[in-house]
Amino acid sequence: MGKMGSNLGRSFKPAKLLQSKFVIIGIMILVLTWLSGAIALDKRSVFLPGETSEGHVLFEVSCNSCHESFKPITNETCTRCHEAELATDAHGAKKFRDPRWAELRENLDVMTCTACHEEHVHMFGRGVHLKPDLCMACHEGVIQGDLASHNGFAADGCWTAGCHNFHDHSGISTGFLRQNLDKPDMLPKPVLPKLTVTAELDTPPEPDLSKEFLEGKS
Amino acid sequence: MKKRAGVQRRGGAEVKKEKIFVCLLCFFLLLVFNLFPVPVLAGEVSQSELDEINNLWRNSAHALADVNCSSCHQNEETKKFVAKPTHESCQSCHEDSVDTFLLGKHGIRILEGLSPLTPAMAHIPMKESAMDKQMNCNTCHNVHSVNTYPAAVDSCLTCHNDTHSLNYQDSKHAQIFADAGSLPRPNEESVTCATCHLPRQKINQTTLVNHNNTYTLLPRDRMVKEVCMHCHSVEYAYNSIFDDELVEANFARPPTLKLETFELVRALEKKRSSKVNK
Repeated sequence: MGKMGSNLGRSFKPAKLLQSKFVIIGIMILVLTWLSGAIALDKRSVFLPGETSEGHVLFEVSCNSCHESFKPITNETCTRCHEAELATDAHGAKKFRDPRWAELRENLDVMTCTACHEEHVHMFGRGVHLKPDLCMACHEGVIQGDLASHNGFAADGCWTAGCHNFHDHSGISTGFLRQNLDKPDMLPKPVLPKLTVTAELDTPPEPDLSKEFLEGKS
Repeated sequence: MKKRAGVQRRGGAEVKKEKIFVCLLCFFLLLVFNLFPVPVLAGEVSQSELDEINNLWRNSAHALADVNCSSCHQNEETKKFVAKPTHESCQSCHEDSVDTFLLGKHGIRILEGLSPLTPAMAHIPMKESAMDKQMNCNTCHNVHSVNTYPAAVDSCLTCHNDTHSLNYQDSKHAQIFADAGSLPRPNEESVTCATCHLPRQKINQTTLVNHNNTYTLLPRDRMVKEVCMHCHSVEYAYNSIFDDELVEANFARPPTLKLETFELVRALEKKRSSKVNK
């Protein structure tokens, strides 16, 4: 609209030509200062391509937390924080380096985090965005007759129904559930790990540094 | 008439230029202030405040562990006085606690070199009065009394204002905690916010508190294995934790959900045992 208006002005009133040039240059300067200002003031959110996932959104302005210039994200980027979550990864490198399963990597590059998790592409709320029916890349047979009890189950139901986890399967696997089945609602005795603190002294020492506090030096 | 309009227009353009100039000036002033913020000076401490702090410390586990003022308030190498120690000071002894804290939502901004998290940044309901609180070790812990009892519930409720958090006080879990009384730290039977969200973990004979507050949130079954199953059966826990309404009510009643998973596992068990019997 603005461009059209200035074009019209140009054909009818030559005096406006100058003015519109100023406008164009002004806009360019504004955009430039806006972008350089964004960089200088660390307001990097203007460069975000889309909605960041629920956890990462808290530090989304720190681009270089995950991105090194324009290089692709590596697994190390993710494991820097998520090592604990991946400690017992049921679909980890150990499994897929085994020749028995290596072939399945052709269906889905399971050894690369970003093959499934697409950050800044909102899908729905669970961790870093992923497609809900990814299991079907390899396990389609399960819901299509290979396993009678699972026949006809929804393609995205594996984990949305709360039955299976891709990574940490330790607390939800069939084996784990079988082992722990039919126990009383309330176990006879709670077994929360006990936290003990050992004291080195019998009586507290005299506080040091009192003078520094009162003077408030820093 | 035409002439006058022309004059007016030219006047308008000058005013516009001035406006742009003022805008740019303000912008650069803002830029300069943001790049060089006015330093905040550490306030002095009065004698009575110091006495109170010393008293809290004298009765703390820190004092009996020979952790004195200088342990935190003095730089080890330069011997310079540190008025406000940061998480790095705590980290020198409580490595696991701080390391895990930095990986959760509460601490991740510090790890990534940003300003600490404040409730104002949260995407869940927070208390109006707490919006500016900066998330650091001493936001939840009284670093002088080092009594973890208030850090288990009261600290959380200073900021968190969602239904799940607010419903804790009326829950059975809260009742157990209240009955246990004010111990130096929550005992093995107490179920507090921290019990589930900052779970105790036994690693190589030592018990540590995992301060990654995001760790047991997703997938939900992680909390079942890490926490719930210390006291409840797997079935009771699953049927509770996958019921959104019951989670919101902070487990105010026994579960009514019956997850199909368990029927499937039971059917499988039956099939297996009948095969064995044959």
